[in-house]
Amino acid sequence: MSEIAVETHCLTKIFESKIKSLEPRNSIFKRKEPLIVTAVDHLNLKIKKGELFGLLGPNGAGKTTLVKILCTLLPPDEGEAYVNGFDVVRQQMDVRRSLGTLFSVGERGVFWRLNGYRNLEFFSAIYNVPRRKRHERIMEVLDLVGLKDKAFENYQKYSGGMKRKLALARALLPDPPILLLDEPTVGLDVISSRSLREFIRKNLSEEAGKTVLYTTHYIEEASQICNRIGILNKGKLVACDTPDAIKGIVKKGEVVEIRATSITDAQVGAIRTMEGMIDITSEVEDSVLGQKRLRLHLKNIDSLSMVLDFFLKEKIRLIDLRHEEPTLEDAFIELTGRGLEE
Amino acid sequence: MFQEVEKIYYFIKRDIISFSTYKTNMALMVLSALFGALSYAYLGSNADMQKVLQLYNISFTAYLLIGMAFSTYIGQALTLVQKTINPWHLEEVLVSPTGLGTFIIGSSAWGFIWSTIVVAIYLAVGSLAFGVVLSINVVGTILVLGLGIGTLIGFSMIGAGILILIKQGDPITWLIGMLTSVFGNVLFPPQVMPYPLQIISYFVPQYYFFTAIRLMMIGWSIQMILPEILALTVMCAIILPSGYFIYSWCLKTARKNGTLSWF
Repeated sequence: MSEIAVETHCLTKIFESKIKSLEPRNSIFKRKEPLIVTAVDHLNLKIKKGELFGLLGPNGAGKTTLVKILCTLLPPDEGEAYVNGFDVVRQQMDVRRSLGTLFSVGERGVFWRLNGYRNLEFFSAIYNVPRRKRHERIMEVLDLVGLKDKAFENYQKYSGGMKRKLALARALLPDPPILLLDEPTVGLDVISSRSLREFIRKNLSEEAGKTVLYTTHYIEEASQICNRIGILNKGKLVACDTPDAIKGIVKKGEVVEIRATSITDAQVGAIRTMEGMIDITSEVEDSVLGQKRLRLHLKNIDSLSMVLDFFLKEKIRLIDLRHEEPTLEDAFIELTGRGLEE
Repeated sequence: MFQEVEKIYYFIKRDIISFSTYKTNMALMVLSALFGALSYAYLGSNADMQKVLQLYNISFTAYLLIGMAFSTYIGQALTLVQKTINPWHLEEVLVSPTGLGTFIIGSSAWGFIWSTIVVAIYLAVGSLAFGVVLSINVVGTILVLGLGIGTLIGFSMIGAGILILIKQGDPITWLIGMLTSVFGNVLFPPQVMPYPLQIISYFVPQYYFFTAIRLMMIGWSIQMILPEILALTVMCAIILPSGYFIYSWCLKTARKNGTLSWF
């Protein structure tokens, strides 16, 4: 029996659309130009059974497109994909029976005028949960996600976190071996987000042994709970390994974190172009004091002297300087050449 | 098979629960049906419509009541598939092990049940308040309803398919709705119009539907309306499969293009 839960070979999805040309034309009709976007580009991926696999990538990297192909919602243009050993094109019903899917907007498809229990009752019929076991299963998943006490409360009264949990309960209803969770914590507050992550790691992955494909653009989220991480950029898998191994990719460089005041964006831009600089990220720590935190990724530590000379010359006040271990974000920037929020 | 029937039951149950939460709306809909029946029946009982009586051998009150009552069914069938293409629900069902046919039937079943209640209200008001005498040919009524609904669902699937692709504005539903009101034999018989306009009616399936259903309501036999039945059967046999083919093709195209949820 195969140990692989999800597998893709050269999987490709291309979207074609027409956009209005920006160039003026002497016609009442605007010229339209073809726009071709390769959302998933010859992707080869293997996820083992029981693995909690994180798929990391910025917006538009192709994460949701991949999830939609795997759950049979989108047909691929090239290549093959298998879920639980079933072909996503030729064996769609078998694929659907093997999966529980949580879309990034989990509230959709839920009936707002019904309570949580009635919603799950409807979906348990749709997902072929045997009638005799239906009530028991609904209460079981509601208990699992911590909504048993709110089962008969109207969905409209649910908080954002509760809505997300109900969407997850719906995905768990048929007790599928594989779960596709597309950005499950989007829109949740810090506490709800942490509790949901813990639930996925502890209850679903470790205790229930489910295979989970977890897409996110939150780096820390992926590094905290996933066994392995794949980094997707412009539809291509640019890295696939354990979080520590991926961090190791940037070991060849040095990471220095600096806190400073009175530093402008133009000055940050000037530092970015210095020799020996791989990348720099900056974030405002205190807008009143004009305090910023810079994270420099240098080819070697000698390059730091140039930065410090620049600080002296520009009279930038240095508050703190720390030599840091590279993070997953550093690895991501090195691999993709851009930050996750870009 | 039982599993699919059970799914349809849960679709209906979901919609009844959802519908019953809109209590004011529900009351207003019942009142609208009552008011509509009363006003049209009043209009009919006071209008001089000897011409209609000669054509159909029924009173104008009965003519209007039956027309209004069954136009609910037709309206329901015409918008049936569009209602199912809410992208959120469509995506959720397309990732479950449930077929598209079960989804369409299940999503619309409650609408038809409600339409049946509305028809019953119209006919009851007509009988009790205005003395409309009905002698319903049940088998014939079911046959005509089946053919009429089948034809309109075909149009509905064409409209829904177009809507899936172009995302807003559905010319088919608008066109069929307009043709129904003018040439469909709903509120007045096409025979009162100039002859060139009457010809258009013969190409509109609703004309045959409303003619046949009225005659079934006043006790005619199926043999007596064979031409109407035949015309409806031919139209249904062409439009229903064409609609399914067009809808499936549009759905497949939208899935391929990734535009299914772009509404």
